[in-house]
Amino acid sequence: MIVVGVGACGAPDESPVPTDTPKPANTPVPTNTPVPTSTPVPTQVLTPEALIPPADGYLLVDIGKCQGCLSCMLACSLIHEGVESLSLSRIQVMQDSFASYPEDLTIEPCRQCVEPLCVPVCPTGALAADAANGHVRIVDSEACIGCGLCYDACPFTPSRAFLAPDAAFDGEAKSRKCDLCANAPYHWAEAGGGPDGQQACVAVCPVGAIAFSTEIPVQDGEGGYKVNLRDETWASLGYPTS
Amino acid sequence: MNGYAGKILRLNLTERTVSTIPTSDYEQWGGGHGMGSAIFFDLVQDKTIDGFDPANVVTIMTSPLCGTLVAAAGGRTEVQGIGVQSYPIGWFTRSNFGGRFSAMLKYAGWDGIVIEGRADEPVWIDIRDEDVQIRDCAGLSLWGTDTWECQQRIWSDVAGDEGYGDWREPAGPEGRLTTQRPAVLATGPAGENLSRVACLIHDASNASGQGGFGAVFGSKNLKAVSVMGTGSVAIHDPQALLATRLWHKENYAFDLGSLKAPTSSYQFQDPPVPMALWAQGRPQTGQRPQACLGCHSGCRARYQDGAGNEASCFATAFYPDAGTLDIQRAASDLINRYGLNAPEMIWGLTYIGILAQTGELWAGDIPDCPLDWEQYGSQEFVEQFVKMVAYGDDGRGNASQFGQDVSNGFVRAAEAWGRLEQDLSSGILAFPYWGLPVHKEPRAQVYWGYGTLLGDRDINEHGFDWLKLMVYVVPGEALEATAAGIVKAMTDKMVPFQGDMDMLNFSEDNIYSEHMAKLVSWQRYYTRFWKQSMLFCNNRWPDFMNVYSPDSLGATGVIEPEYVKAVTGRDLSFEDGIQLGRKIWNLDHAIWTLQGRHRDMVHFVDNIYDQQPLFPVDAGIANVHLPGKEEGKWGFYGYSERTLDREQFEAFKTRFYELQGWDPATGYPTRAALESLDLDYVADELADQGKLGG
Repeated sequence: MIVVGVGACGAPDESPVPTDTPKPANTPVPTNTPVPTSTPVPTQVLTPEALIPPADGYLLVDIGKCQGCLSCMLACSLIHEGVESLSLSRIQVMQDSFASYPEDLTIEPCRQCVEPLCVPVCPTGALAADAANGHVRIVDSEACIGCGLCYDACPFTPSRAFLAPDAAFDGEAKSRKCDLCANAPYHWAEAGGGPDGQQACVAVCPVGAIAFSTEIPVQDGEGGYKVNLRDETWASLGYPTS
Repeated sequence: MNGYAGKILRLNLTERTVSTIPTSDYEQWGGGHGMGSAIFFDLVQDKTIDGFDPANVVTIMTSPLCGTLVAAAGGRTEVQGIGVQSYPIGWFTRSNFGGRFSAMLKYAGWDGIVIEGRADEPVWIDIRDEDVQIRDCAGLSLWGTDTWECQQRIWSDVAGDEGYGDWREPAGPEGRLTTQRPAVLATGPAGENLSRVACLIHDASNASGQGGFGAVFGSKNLKAVSVMGTGSVAIHDPQALLATRLWHKENYAFDLGSLKAPTSSYQFQDPPVPMALWAQGRPQTGQRPQACLGCHSGCRARYQDGAGNEASCFATAFYPDAGTLDIQRAASDLINRYGLNAPEMIWGLTYIGILAQTGELWAGDIPDCPLDWEQYGSQEFVEQFVKMVAYGDDGRGNASQFGQDVSNGFVRAAEAWGRLEQDLSSGILAFPYWGLPVHKEPRAQVYWGYGTLLGDRDINEHGFDWLKLMVYVVPGEALEATAAGIVKAMTDKMVPFQGDMDMLNFSEDNIYSEHMAKLVSWQRYYTRFWKQSMLFCNNRWPDFMNVYSPDSLGATGVIEPEYVKAVTGRDLSFEDGIQLGRKIWNLDHAIWTLQGRHRDMVHFVDNIYDQQPLFPVDAGIANVHLPGKEEGKWGFYGYSERTLDREQFEAFKTRFYELQGWDPATGYPTRAALESLDLDYVADELADQGKLGG
């Protein structure tokens, strides 16, 4: 049963190697733009739950099914940036060839948190729930000043919002995060992405280890997002389903 | 051009210098093997040098498709240089491995690496985007480590142990982050000790297996190459690339909603099932499939106990007489960790095992064998055996002439023992060409043996290999009815020889024909460009037949150019690629000729002409069934139980050389053939060396 999240977005459960563990305080943030002290603090910082509606869509992943091909990451950077890059992907898959299943791999997509800590800290309102796209938490690159506060605020590791130089802005650092492909200039489908469209990582995954859901996952811990997508066909290939 | 990083990294280990070569200088070759051969030809003045000579140049090349979403083409890397494994000459050779190394290299901004010279102390290469350092191994105590430990130490140094999974800035342009670990290609103890059968390992079981490149690294005092890339690969038409990939997936790849293909892992259509050939089967433990970067269908797995992680194919066929599955899986890990070529180890152990069975191991000029054969099947036995080959000792740290001999490979060991001719002839030393281990039955799958002999190594190219399985999956009558259709469908795709169905006629009266010369030529050209230069995976390509497509035809011939166009913007037809493959094949042949190749050297060992197979060499199939035309009727017939005919094979060679435009008397390339391929400068060098055909 999917339970509407009621808890805080942070402090998830302990889990195997690299996962939603709290970020170290001294994480290097490659900011190249200082936070302007004169920027007015958006009002939603004060009452986020009152002003930020939940998103209409969520990515669910099965870390026990993933084959580690990283196609999701390649598709993500491709349709958002027009290039192939692991560093520009809004979904991150990390793996260890020498480790034991299932701790050898994890998938870390943005959770589109019900109470997103990244949104209220944005000093310019560049990172906001986009009403035109099902309230997905989206970065407006024009408005982003690359301050890195969203990166700091995200309680997960790796941070689901990250900074990278943006060629479209003369190499200025701009925040990136998953927008469910709502704002993907190289989207392959005429209808595009977003909660009502197609998400590249879901479409490209060869084994169906990423799913799209309109139901709000349980917010506490990882269980709402890291799910079991294995079925009898998967079992017929000799893989466990539980 | 899009798809390329734009520059190739050039390292001189002797001088400890780093420089670059513009990729545009070699772009005409496509990438991978073509670029590697062209660079090798330009940089190595004396092609007759030994593989251990510091002047030997090793190229590690990517393709414009590496690091991209092109299905089963994004993760392979091509390694070339003068090898040390083949016999009697270490040919200029190649080996190709999967994983994520080539992608990381592209993201770091490099299309390839060229390695020259020999370091005065053991070193490793630390590439972090633009920042390239030749670092001493002493700092991380890398020399002496196995390939896994070496990689893990480098991971810790480059990516850090703590907080793995967080974004980090490894180096290079400011602000570029990654969550990934570096991709490392390492040699193991075998390579350090210059075992001629040493390979290179990346991640758990991606092996640049043939050629002895592990030992070539060792001879250069080079332990590993690590690359961390945080950049990107520019794509000509991003929308077209993803649309093509999704269309390809939808119409030609396995469908988990309606699975049609058998659960093997041989073709493009097959689902992600590990090609685990362990004698007692696949472990019944928790596991996932694991794929190279960008691949739609992984062909190996990772397991709940971590044993046998990512091992597939040959690596899982080693030590089949292990007492338990766990022991055999441990054996797979051992050859990966010590860095040893799996087929050499398989057929080498078979060889000395037969000698032990017959008692000959303790007779004649064979030095004292330190192995306790009473323990054969145990983990202790295989550990000692692996260490013996890797270290060239008794496998326990003590000097051993026997260990030293087998460390040079089993053909050279047999030569040292004065048994080479007799054991090749009897077939117990199953190394039928160039001192290299057998793979497919050369009497049946003749294109495999011919291609190997006319080249430099076990070709290990599976495009036609699945045909032998048809007899097991299609009922007899249906198979008879199907044979001609399959042959027609496949040969129709084989431009520029399309339509010649007899290319796939393996009957006795056709295996020396011009038709067979065309088949061998097509495979040489196709693989040289599409598989080894564009780096489409050998296991998944070509896609001739496909159970998911409406007309049962695979996408080969249609889809490859579409992918190249989407990535690079280049209009390159399938046949253009075949012709480029022909050019690359001619360049390779010219290099072998400069090394000393003459047609008189090109022959199988006597056993192939004189005896039927001593034992099944491929998956236990005693009689390989292939398409053929017997009494005018197409069908699948068993062709293993025959021998090749010396005179007719010589006639085949003449037909093959003439088809290439080479001198049939010597096998040397001709000026006309080379100039028709714009290889005038190659003809000039051959002429200077007195090796140009008339």
